[in-house]
Amino acid sequence: MNDPYTMHTLDNGLRIVIEQMPDVQSAAAGFLVRTGSRDETAELAGVSHFLEHMMFKGTPKRTWRDITVDFDSLGSTYNAYTSEDRTVYFGWVRRKDIVKQMELLADMLRSALPADEFEMEKKVILEEIAMSRDRIEHVAIDFLRSKVFAGHPLEWPVLGYDDTVGNMARDAMWSYFQRQYAANNLTLVVAGRVDPHEIIGHAEALCGAWEASDPPNGRTRPEIRGGVDVFQTGRFKQQVLCLTFPSVGAADELAETASALTTILGGDNSRFFWKIVQAGLSPEAGAHHFAFTDCGLMLLYGTCQPENAEKLVEAIRREAKLISAERVEDREIDHVRIRRRTALAIESESPYHRLGQIMDDVVFRGAPRTVEQMLAEVDAVTVETIASYFDGFPINGEGHLSSTGPRQWPQQP
Amino acid sequence: MTEIVHKTLACGIECGVVPFPHRHIVAFQIRVLAGACDEPEDRLGVARLVAETLDKGTQRRSGRELFDAFDALGASCSSVSGREAITIGCIVLPEHFERAVALHAEMLRTPTFPDDAVEVNVELARQELEALEDDAQDLLAKLFGVPAFGPLLGRHPLGEKETLDRTTRDDLESFWRSYFSAGRMVVTAAGAVTADRVAAVFEEHFNGFGARNKQGRSDTAVAFTPGNVHHDKDLEQVNIGICWPAVDATHDDFPVQQVMLGVLSGGMSARLFTEVREKQGLAYWVSAWQENPRGSGRVFLAASTTAERCARTYTTLLREVDRIAEDLSDDELQRAITGILASRETRGDSTRARCVELANDLFYFGRPVPDAEKIEKIQGVSVADIRRYLADHSRRDLCVLTLGPAKLTQLEHSSGQGGNGR
Repeated sequence: MNDPYTMHTLDNGLRIVIEQMPDVQSAAAGFLVRTGSRDETAELAGVSHFLEHMMFKGTPKRTWRDITVDFDSLGSTYNAYTSEDRTVYFGWVRRKDIVKQMELLADMLRSALPADEFEMEKKVILEEIAMSRDRIEHVAIDFLRSKVFAGHPLEWPVLGYDDTVGNMARDAMWSYFQRQYAANNLTLVVAGRVDPHEIIGHAEALCGAWEASDPPNGRTRPEIRGGVDVFQTGRFKQQVLCLTFPSVGAADELAETASALTTILGGDNSRFFWKIVQAGLSPEAGAHHFAFTDCGLMLLYGTCQPENAEKLVEAIRREAKLISAERVEDREIDHVRIRRRTALAIESESPYHRLGQIMDDVVFRGAPRTVEQMLAEVDAVTVETIASYFDGFPINGEGHLSSTGPRQWPQQP
Repeated sequence: MTEIVHKTLACGIECGVVPFPHRHIVAFQIRVLAGACDEPEDRLGVARLVAETLDKGTQRRSGRELFDAFDALGASCSSVSGREAITIGCIVLPEHFERAVALHAEMLRTPTFPDDAVEVNVELARQELEALEDDAQDLLAKLFGVPAFGPLLGRHPLGEKETLDRTTRDDLESFWRSYFSAGRMVVTAAGAVTADRVAAVFEEHFNGFGARNKQGRSDTAVAFTPGNVHHDKDLEQVNIGICWPAVDATHDDFPVQQVMLGVLSGGMSARLFTEVREKQGLAYWVSAWQENPRGSGRVFLAASTTAERCARTYTTLLREVDRIAEDLSDDELQRAITGILASRETRGDSTRARCVELANDLFYFGRPVPDAEKIEKIQGVSVADIRRYLADHSRRDLCVLTLGPAKLTQLEHSSGQGGNGR
C-alpha cells in the first residue's frame, strides 16, 4: 500500500500531517498543541485545561457565540481535550466543509482570551472539578498520580485544583498561551477525503503568519515512586485498588510489547478476566499502559467490595508473578495480533478515529505510522520481547499500591 | 446507491443487509426480542444474566474455548441487555464472517449455563448493582426507570438484589427456552458481504431454532408517574433530571421532536449549553435527550451543579424549553437540522453505524427506511412545527429527580402547559 500521508512544515515551524482516505465521505481536522499539565508550574496547575476552555470564548474576529454558531452551522462533531502532554482541538465534518472547519479552528487558536469571559468560565471549570470528585474512578486516579509522581508536574490532575483554578489570573494564562501556542509547537492534522495540496495551501494562508518562539522544553522525567498509599473515603461503596510499576515510554521499542501485555493480562478473554472477574472477585479488573513520551506506568487495577480488597490484590499479584515466571502462550500473542488487525480495519473507516491515532504518533514518535508499520510492530511482539520487557520492567515486585474507598486498607504504620 | 435487502428467512429470522462491497469489514447485529420487560417479576435481572452466561459454555466448548475461538477470528464482539431486547454485535474481517456467525449460532442455540458461571455472574451483577451508587449519572438513570417508564419498561437490566438472590441456573435456562428462537431474532449486516451470503449462513445455522413465527414485536405497556423526588446522597453536586412524555419513533412528530432536541442540546450553540453554561456558568454538564422504547418516548433534561446553583439551574432548564416556542429563529432551526443531517453523513462512513441504523429501522418501523425519506422529514421541519409540537405536547406534569446533597425547595416552573403556541 502507498504511504497515505503528506507532511509539510510551514516556514514558522507549524507542522502539517494529512492522511488521504479516498473511500470516505467525511473529513476531520485538528490542531495538536504540545502542551499539557506536565508543562505547568504548581501555582498554575490546571492552566492548560482552563486555557482549552477559553479558546472557545472569542477571538479578534469572533465572539464566543460566533464560534459555537459557526461550528454548529457546519454540523460539525467538535470538541477539545487536554491531557498531561497535549491539548487538542478538532472537528469532524462533511468533506465539502473541511476548509471552513480548518479556518474556524485556526481562528480559535488565536484567541483573545476575553477578560469578561474569564471569570464566568472559571465557574464552569470549578463545577467540572466538583463533578470529577463525585466519580470514584477520577478520585482513584488522581490519588494514584499524586503519590506515584509526587514532586513532579504529573502529580496534579489535568483539571487542576480548586485553589489554583480559583486564584488563576488572566495575565498568567496569557503568558502561558503566548509561550506554548507558538506556531512551532503546533501540528495541524487532517484526515479524510481531501486534496493534500489544497489543504497545505489553506494552512499556509491561515497559519503562515503565526509567530514562532522557543517554547521551553522544561519537561523532566519523573521519578516513579513505590510504596503503599490509602485514601479512605466513605463517599463510595467500592474499593479501587491500583498496582503500578515503572514501564517504557510510548516511543520505546518495547512499547508495543507493553501494550500486548495489557491485553493478555487485562483485556477481554485475558488472564484477569478468567482468574479474577470470572472468579466473582471483581466486576472490573484490567491492565493499562500509561505511556508518556519519556516514561510509562504499567497499571494493574480492579474494583471490588471493600471486604475483598486483600483477595483482589493477592489475585492481581499472583497473575503478575505467573506471567513473569512462565512463558506467555503463543496463542495469547496470536490473539493480540489478529484483534489488532480487526481494530485497525475498523479505525480506518473513520477520519475522526484516524485523527486520534495520528496525533498519538506525532506526539510520541514525531510522525505517523502506516497500517503496515503498525501491524509489523504488533507482529514483532514475541515471547522473547516479552521476556526482555520483564527483564527491564518487572511487575513481580511490590511496585506501588494505592487503595481508594471506604476501607482503610492496607493499614499503614 | 446502496440497495438495502430486507426479508424474512425460511428459518424465521427477520434479516436486513446493507452491502458495501468496497469496505474492509463486516458488521452484524443479532437482536433477540427478549429483554428486561419479559422477565418474571420475581426474577428481575435474568435477561441480562442469560446474555452474560451464553458465552460461558456450549454443548461443544467450554467458555474459555469459545472465547478463544472468537479471538482466533479477531472478532470484535459486544452484547447489551436492554429493556426490550438483547443485542449482540460483532465486527470481523470479511473472510471470517461465516465462521463468526457459526460461533454465534453455537452460543445462542446450545448454551449449557454452567452452574459455576451462573453463580459468578449473579455475584458480579450484585456487585455492579452496588457499584451504581458510585456513579451519579448511572444511578440517576436507574432511579428514573419506574417513574419515567412504568413497572415493566422501567426495570433496570441488572435487576434487584432480592431477585438476584433467588435466581438460579434453571431460571436462566427457562428464560432462554422461552424467548430465544429464530422468530424472535432480527439480524442486520453491513459491509463487505452480500445479502445472499448473509441469508445463506443464517439459514444454515438457525434452521429449526424454535418458533419461526414472528414474536415479541408488540409494544410493551408504558406508564409515567409525575412528581418531584429527592434522593439524598453525599455528593459534591446535585444531579438534576427532568422527564416528560414524548412521541415514539414512528410518530409523525418524531422528526419535529428530534429537531427540537437539536435546538435545545445539539451543539455548543444550542440553548442549554448557551444559557446554562456559557452565560451563567451554572454547570459543566448539561444535556437533553430522548429515549424511545417501541411505541413510546420520553424527553429528558439533566445537569449537575453545586447545591447553591441548583434552583437556578432547574429554572433555566425548563425556561429554555418554553422559550423555544417564543423566539425560535430560522437560523437556529437550520443549525439544528444541519447538525442532524451532517452527523448522519459523517457517521455513515462507519459500517457498524450503518448496521445499527438498519437494525433500529427494523425494530421501530418493521422496514428499512430509505435515507431520502429520513432526510426529507428532517428538512421539512419548520419553526411553526416546533411551536405546534411544544403546544401539543404538554409539560404540565413533570417527573423531577434530584440526587445529591440538596433538594429543590421550590419548583418555579409555571408554564409549559401547552396550548398557547406563541
